[in-house]
Amino acid sequence: MAQQELIIQRYNPDTDESYEESFNVDVQPGQTVLDSLNAIKWEQDGTLSFRMSCRHAICGSCAMKVNGQSMLSCQTQVDAAAERGDPITVGPQGNQNVIKDLVVDVEKFLHQFERAETWLEPYEDQEPPEREYRQKVEEFDHWSHASTCIHCGACYSDCTVAAVDENFLGPAALAKAYRFVMDSRDAKREERLQFLSEEQGGIWDCTRCYMCVQACPKDVLPMDAIMELRTLAIEAGHVNNHGVRHHKGFMSGVRKRGRLDEMMLPVQSVGIGRLLTGNLAAHKEMMDYTPGAIRLLKSRKLLTIAQRHGANAEGREQIERIFEEVEAEKHHHDVDAEAFGAEFETAIGGH
Amino acid sequence: MLQHDVLIVGSGLAGMRAALEVSSDPTLDVAILSKVHPLRSHSGAAQGGIAASLGNSAEDSWDLHMFDTVKGGDYLVDQDAAEVLTREGPENIFELEHMGCAFSRDDEGRVAQRRFGGHTAPRACYAADRTGHAVLTVLFEQLLRRGVKVYSEWYALDLVVKDNVCQGLVAYDILSGQIEAISAKAVMFGTGGYGRAFRVTTNAFASTGDGVVMAYRAGIPLEDMEFVQFHPTGLQGSGILLSEAARGEGAHIVNSDGFRFMENYAPGRMELAPRDIVARAEQSEIEAGRGVTALRDSVFMDLRPIGEERIRYALPSVLHLARDFAGIDPLDAPVPIQPTAHYSMGGIPCDINGQVRVKDVDGAPEITGFFAAGEASCVSVHGANRLGTNSLLEAVVMGRRAGRGILDAVHDLEPTSIDEGDMANAVGEVDHFLSADGSQKVGQIRAELRDTMMDKCGVFRDDAELKECLSEVKDYQERFRNVSIDDHGSTFNTDLLDAIELGHMLEYSEVITVGAIARQESRGGHARRDFPDRDDENWHRHTLAYRPQDGEDGPRLEYCEVNMEPKFREPFPLQERTY
Repeated sequence: MAQQELIIQRYNPDTDESYEESFNVDVQPGQTVLDSLNAIKWEQDGTLSFRMSCRHAICGSCAMKVNGQSMLSCQTQVDAAAERGDPITVGPQGNQNVIKDLVVDVEKFLHQFERAETWLEPYEDQEPPEREYRQKVEEFDHWSHASTCIHCGACYSDCTVAAVDENFLGPAALAKAYRFVMDSRDAKREERLQFLSEEQGGIWDCTRCYMCVQACPKDVLPMDAIMELRTLAIEAGHVNNHGVRHHKGFMSGVRKRGRLDEMMLPVQSVGIGRLLTGNLAAHKEMMDYTPGAIRLLKSRKLLTIAQRHGANAEGREQIERIFEEVEAEKHHHDVDAEAFGAEFETAIGGH
Repeated sequence: MLQHDVLIVGSGLAGMRAALEVSSDPTLDVAILSKVHPLRSHSGAAQGGIAASLGNSAEDSWDLHMFDTVKGGDYLVDQDAAEVLTREGPENIFELEHMGCAFSRDDEGRVAQRRFGGHTAPRACYAADRTGHAVLTVLFEQLLRRGVKVYSEWYALDLVVKDNVCQGLVAYDILSGQIEAISAKAVMFGTGGYGRAFRVTTNAFASTGDGVVMAYRAGIPLEDMEFVQFHPTGLQGSGILLSEAARGEGAHIVNSDGFRFMENYAPGRMELAPRDIVARAEQSEIEAGRGVTALRDSVFMDLRPIGEERIRYALPSVLHLARDFAGIDPLDAPVPIQPTAHYSMGGIPCDINGQVRVKDVDGAPEITGFFAAGEASCVSVHGANRLGTNSLLEAVVMGRRAGRGILDAVHDLEPTSIDEGDMANAVGEVDHFLSADGSQKVGQIRAELRDTMMDKCGVFRDDAELKECLSEVKDYQERFRNVSIDDHGSTFNTDLLDAIELGHMLEYSEVITVGAIARQESRGGHARRDFPDRDDENWHRHTLAYRPQDGEDGPRLEYCEVNMEPKFREPFPLQERTY
């Protein structure tokens, strides 16, 4: 029987102390991280606290950080987590307040589902059928992956937007919103798309970092769902919002000059029309950009007017061809042009 | 003191379905209390399906479903309850479907149905192999929509009953460590089963029979506790459930000779015989030396006859569980499986409206304002052995009925109250563990208890082993008096809860064993080597175990008749049970 060291991030709420503590446990083949935590709790230190229940990856209780990444501790084998017998580090989920040891306050995460009203809203003007609603296999297959969420919070824990924005609905709630947008039994599709487009912290605040897809133990593919929601929202005409204007501005800059135009992007995102009509909120939004702009200027990341010319003629021609090719497929994937812009955004590492 | 009109303890399918029903009356203040967040409830672990005679795949009827249920339960089933269960099944499924439940679909766009053990028609409605999760999720969503109050991560310590009137509950807020009284005109328990007392089990850590023991301590007898279902397809070692849906889709079970041994035990149904029969067949093969792997303690389930595409589509969880928890890819190799403690047929006796009462016993207590549903209850729709996919159905149908039973009763019930004296037991229990300095450890006693129950009160039982089992359980109870814990804090003290739960496990394990010793026959999930036959003359009746009073050495057993009076058809007469 092998020994394995676990270094556990602990927090004692009575003394407000945070510290790391190392434990050694006997490990048998197939033993999970949760088994090891239980061995510690039951045989070495009963004060070690964590949530757990089903121990087979369906109840969602035991998501925590193992070697820095969020995952279900019951689903993670010690052998897989410990490379070359290195110690395994175990810590609480991120983006949430720690209550004690590995137990975090999940209220904020779970509240997002209420905010997004992720439950079926029945049609009020018609009675449900006597038997079941008919739903094609293809329709079900299209969204069923998003219904497999176990609300473990791993995606939220690793979300890079939730880390800086308390207001972000987060991957899980958005994926679940997608599931209801796609479900023909739901009466509020239009209202949902409007809310998700316009709400602060909605679909346009995702930065496509992919962490949620990586963290999810159930293949919910939250980011894919968010991207599909963007397409659906645009198709439904929800284009007069910050997110869509931002992406359009991004694209037009790239198309015109072959590169991101930081000078114009804020103006385009806030909306030239809104600014010209003296919309007070719009002018306030512009003001909000000022500190960031000054920082960019100072670090020489904001292009001067002289530098704004961007790509040369040949480059622009190539870029134009890319856009044309993408647009040719537009009937199939309307959002591809947007996706191109966003992918570009990711590729250049934000701005 | 906190106060509600209706308080529902447990947030699985039964509890949430009942709460949803009660919340349809906006004048009532209903709350749910659960030691885990509702989405963590163990109902979510159910995989294969939820039964109802929709007839989407083949002709079916509630009568046929009822017959299968009665026969599957080895005729210990209360037929009034089985009738309600099966007649109301389809409308309950449609209701869930209308709430948005993610049911898989057939080619016509209807709810898809598959075959399951002991059912003569394909009537398991399913959501791939995560049906419990799909139903649990949709019920929680609808509760959120209704804005029902949830005491999440509150632990129920004690049921307060005065003069046979339920007053409410004493509960412990896990986050703050505060003990609170919560009074209610009606209390319902949907607190789940008690499989955690066995070493090899599918059950969650939370399935420690808390509600069952709270009722028992309040003076309510427990019904048929000796009937514990062992599921035939638990992963070797851990006992983690691999859904019966695998066999429903066509998986084979073979011994070390590669022989589909069900041929010798239930040739008519093969792998799709009821669970008790398949589990015993496996155990017999293992004991005859035809087990597999180095330990020879398991047999193989082979999914490959199903075909890769169908496995991926219909059994994704089974595929992942085998890979993640056994390191075996079922697409390439058979998976070692063994019988695993799965379902508690026994529990708190109640009628078809969820009212806790002892059936057919004169002078037996009826506790006003106390209801139960789901696995914690014993209605008894499963009798001596539950058919797969009938548990989710029971939780939903009987949860709804209990909700309606509460709606019917609650307006005539008086407000209740809980004073400091009523809280003394609960406060004393918590104080005891927080200040105890004994030498015994919870984890050690619990591990020994689970070994004892698995090895001496398992798939097969006999008088000698059961008596050893009882004596060991009593020894653990004695040692438990001298137990101490490490965590004396007030915030999220799971060490304390572990101790309280072990107290529950020790108490109900004694009840299981005493009932099993007394029942000198083999019926459904209770298989006695020394009494291999069913004995209808003496044992076609339910066990009722009362908590010992002063001077009594152990639970006092009484018995009551099995209900043979369905309302809409003739009862199914007792027959030999062969498949």
